[in-house]
Amino acid sequence: MTVSTDHHNEAKRDVTFRVFRFNPQVDSKPYFDDYTIPVERGITVLRALNYIKEHVDASVSYRAFCQAGICGSCGMRVNGISMLACTTQVWEVLEKSREPGIIKVEPLRNLPLVKDLIVDMDPLVGKMTHYSNWVDSTMPEEEMGKKEFLISEEEFLKYDKATDCILCASCVSECSILRANKEYVSPAVLLKSYRMNVDSRDGSHDVRLAELVKDHGVWDCTHCYRCQETCVKSIPIMDAIHGIREDAIEKRGVKDTSGAKHAEAFMDDIAKKGKLVEATLPFRTNGVFWTLQNLLPMAVKMIMKRRTPPPPPMVKPSKGIKVFRSMFREMSEHVKQDHQSHNK
Amino acid sequence: MKPFDIVIVGGGGAGLYAAMEAMKTNPALNIAVLSKVYPNRSHTSAAQGGANAALANKAKDDTVEMHIFDTIKGSDYLADQDAVEVLCGEAPKIIRELENMGTPWSRLEDNTIAQRPFGGAGRPRCCYCADKTGHTILQTLYEQCLKKGVIFFNEYFVLNLSVHGSRSRGLIAMNMKTGKVEAFAARTVIFATGGYAKMYWNRSSNAAGNTGDGQAIAFRAGIPLKDMEFVQFHPTGLRKSGLLVTEGARGEGGYLINKDGERFMSRYAPEKMELGPRDLVSRSLETEILQGRGFDSPAGKYLHLDLTHLGADLIKSRLPQIREMTMNFEGVDPIEEPIPVRPTAHYSMGGIDTDNFGRTVIDGVYAAGECACVSVHGANRLGGNSLLDILVFGRIAGHTAAQEAGRFEPGAISEDEVNQQLEEIRSGMHASGHYERYGALREELGQTLALNVGIYREATQLKQGIADVAELRERFKKVRVSDSSDVFNTNLLQVLELKNMLDLAGSVAMGALAREESRGSHTRTDFPTRDDSKWHKHTLATLVDGHIILGEKPVTMGRHELQERTY
Ligand SMILES: Cc1cc2nc3c(=O)[nH]c(=O)nc-3n(C[C@H](O)[C@H](O)[C@H](O)COP(=O)(O)OP(=O)(O)OC[C@H]3O[C@@H](n4cnc5c(N)ncnc54)[C@H](O)[C@@H]3O)c2cc1C
Ligand code: SF4
Ligand code: SF4
Ligand code: FES
Repeated sequence: MTVSTDHHNEAKRDVTFRVFRFNPQVDSKPYFDDYTIPVERGITVLRALNYIKEHVDASVSYRAFCQAGICGSCGMRVNGISMLACTTQVWEVLEKSREPGIIKVEPLRNLPLVKDLIVDMDPLVGKMTHYSNWVDSTMPEEEMGKKEFLISEEEFLKYDKATDCILCASCVSECSILRANKEYVSPAVLLKSYRMNVDSRDGSHDVRLAELVKDHGVWDCTHCYRCQETCVKSIPIMDAIHGIREDAIEKRGVKDTSGAKHAEAFMDDIAKKGKLVEATLPFRTNGVFWTLQNLLPMAVKMIMKRRTPPPPPMVKPSKGIKVFRSMFREMSEHVKQDHQSHNK
Repeated sequence: MKPFDIVIVGGGGAGLYAAMEAMKTNPALNIAVLSKVYPNRSHTSAAQGGANAALANKAKDDTVEMHIFDTIKGSDYLADQDAVEVLCGEAPKIIRELENMGTPWSRLEDNTIAQRPFGGAGRPRCCYCADKTGHTILQTLYEQCLKKGVIFFNEYFVLNLSVHGSRSRGLIAMNMKTGKVEAFAARTVIFATGGYAKMYWNRSSNAAGNTGDGQAIAFRAGIPLKDMEFVQFHPTGLRKSGLLVTEGARGEGGYLINKDGERFMSRYAPEKMELGPRDLVSRSLETEILQGRGFDSPAGKYLHLDLTHLGADLIKSRLPQIREMTMNFEGVDPIEEPIPVRPTAHYSMGGIDTDNFGRTVIDGVYAAGECACVSVHGANRLGGNSLLDILVFGRIAGHTAAQEAGRFEPGAISEDEVNQQLEEIRSGMHASGHYERYGALREELGQTLALNVGIYREATQLKQGIADVAELRERFKKVRVSDSSDVFNTNLLQVLELKNMLDLAGSVAMGALAREESRGSHTRTDFPTRDDSKWHKHTLATLVDGHIILGEKPVTMGRHELQERTY
């Protein structure tokens, strides 16, 4: 008998949850409250918060609904990173805590704060509406229900992953551009826009694209990859962002979009120096070769359309710049040939 | 605020379809949807398995007629046959409609909508999108509503209906972001608030907010509730949390195994095995556990759902959410180990009594979806028929309300009435000297229901359940709300939800005590057989002066005669 109780005690750890508090009715600024509770293995952050709410302080406020990682309600920052509280194991985050035994819980960033861990989702819904995040069916309403569109597995796979998005706004919270510009379209909205644009049932592709290339749209993204690293459903958000960009260049050319010039400058920068400002570089996650393979072709295509040759190297070339430049040249050639054979 | 023509309570599948259809029927109407969560968070998103429709894409010989028969038989002959004909007859059209609007259904080799076998169905007719069917349907509907410009009042908690005589004047709701209590005067109201199975609390697969609010509001307004005793237990809830492992896992070929390593379903449904209907499979698991063939753990006894033989590829491609869920909540990778499961309260067959058009006994008040009881599921719902139900009858209710709204005067709700609501909340719950913890009451409610009004039922236990609920209602009067803030007071909201569950729980237990037979999900060990001569009828629970009065309503029969239900 005693053995089992001992075992039981061992299986619990005292964990301090340092919870962000703010009640707009009484607080002039936010503060943190510490709650120390015993937590056994297998308990999620949401369950721990529920325990605090039920047993310690009923005023701690947060959203939660399905408790199963499917409704997207419980996005919050745990030890500084945005995630779902209901699918996050306390013991696992504890291992990575900077201060031993303490887990910091804060609201998502980049959305207006309502109270404690609750932020306002309306801006996100507003953007979904602004960027027509719906399939605008090519089938007239009165014809609906009579027959199916036939969709190939190949097409289905193009948007299958994107439809996993549960609008938890974790990616929104981590986006580096949104921190500076709240008008920015947002990663989740780019993802949804892409999902609609590759759906053959949709008839509003061009309208959506025209909106996406404007200010605060797809060209403002810096490729920092934070959104993709954060996504609670492991959706390759960057594929969608690249997809929209390539599509934009393909369908619209580059001259009409001020944003495209940003991207061009960005690519010029690579050609020139072989390095970029750290915040904008996907190297950290993906390495030089990934970047070469995935970003360069697009830059090259853009440049070919403008028929501007890549500018010569000027400033301090970084390590590996030779490989970089020769690949760049090779790809430029490649695209040029493609281009010519098309024109024949 | 200007009075609305239609106010819809609930942004799940039923509510959103109702909104869309109402706008389509009459674009000039002023329509609003109120929801306590953003619509895309609604519990419809949790439905993994799929929705039934006799499209005959997979089995070419499938027919609507067969779907009708499977549904009636599945209901243990308690479903109204005319309603079932509507459900199954509309099914192919509504699934195609969703497809036409952009739902990303999985596809067969010939590029048509994919279908798979599901419990209790004679043909593979369950249409799916991997294991995120409800999620993708809800996304599609929400997107289409945004496209159409439906007016949403998100994070509004509806408190009560304003009823005068046999007429409704609209609703009273709390804006959760400000704590303000507001009136929504309306010609018509549609309830689409989802189920009440969260009453069983930790022994439930439902979202925290599936607390039967709409049913409780209707009940308090004098609208009868039908067949409340029928609560479906899903056979495979995760051992610790009650969260659901979809039937899709068995549809794809998963085995149920006891501690002796037997595929025990051979004892109970030798032909259909794991794919027998829910109630039968749940009872089989419960019996295995009661007879000592379950595994032991501190969290209780359980059985195994084994997918390991299906292989990593299939599990990853067809059941990715299930894998993620079992890893997150149970620490088990189904590719390598069997999943620990036990039955969990899952679906409420009972609900607000409506006709086939969604109408209730109060003029201008309609209901659809899981909160309503038409009845198409009778004593037991077939897997994949509920998504279908919310779509088909959500649409019908939206259409009916749009057509009938003109008949009713726009109601006016007086400030007094609003203040009275507010006062009730303030005085009843914020008062000092209150000491009962809502968390404890909620937990105890779940425990007594699971124990006394669970899968196997018997008179003395049911009486205990009724007494426990009465005692909890008494204790509730002293419940404490310690958060005094107006902004997003989740403490208060959870207490209001608890009140709704307590208001409803009695009707479930009393219906179960009255029904002296075993039918579908309702199994009385003291009355082990179906008794058609006495109980082939619906029960109706009505609240009269604070007391629950039980009545009855005949079952509408049709082409299918009563038969014994075997699988
Ligand atoms: C885990 C799980 C899996 C399932 N899988 C399947 C399946 O594979 N196939 C199938 O056919 N069925 C399945 N079901 C059943 C099916 O998902 C539900 O019956 C259905 O989604 C209910 O839809 P609804 O629109 O009626 O309600 P819900 O989707 O529950 O929506 C209710 C809405 O009402 C709102 N609301 C509630 N109370 C209030 C209030 N007081 N004030 C304001 N708004 C309020 C909520 O905010 C919400 O928007 C499953 C159920 C569960 C639990
Ligand atoms: S990659 Fe673009 S969208 Fe994603 S976080 Fe960075 S800036 Fe935002
Ligand atoms: S893309 Fe991922 S992180 Fe962003 S909202 Fe969707 S699910 Fe959440
Ligand atoms: S509560 Fe639904 S995702 Fe966490």
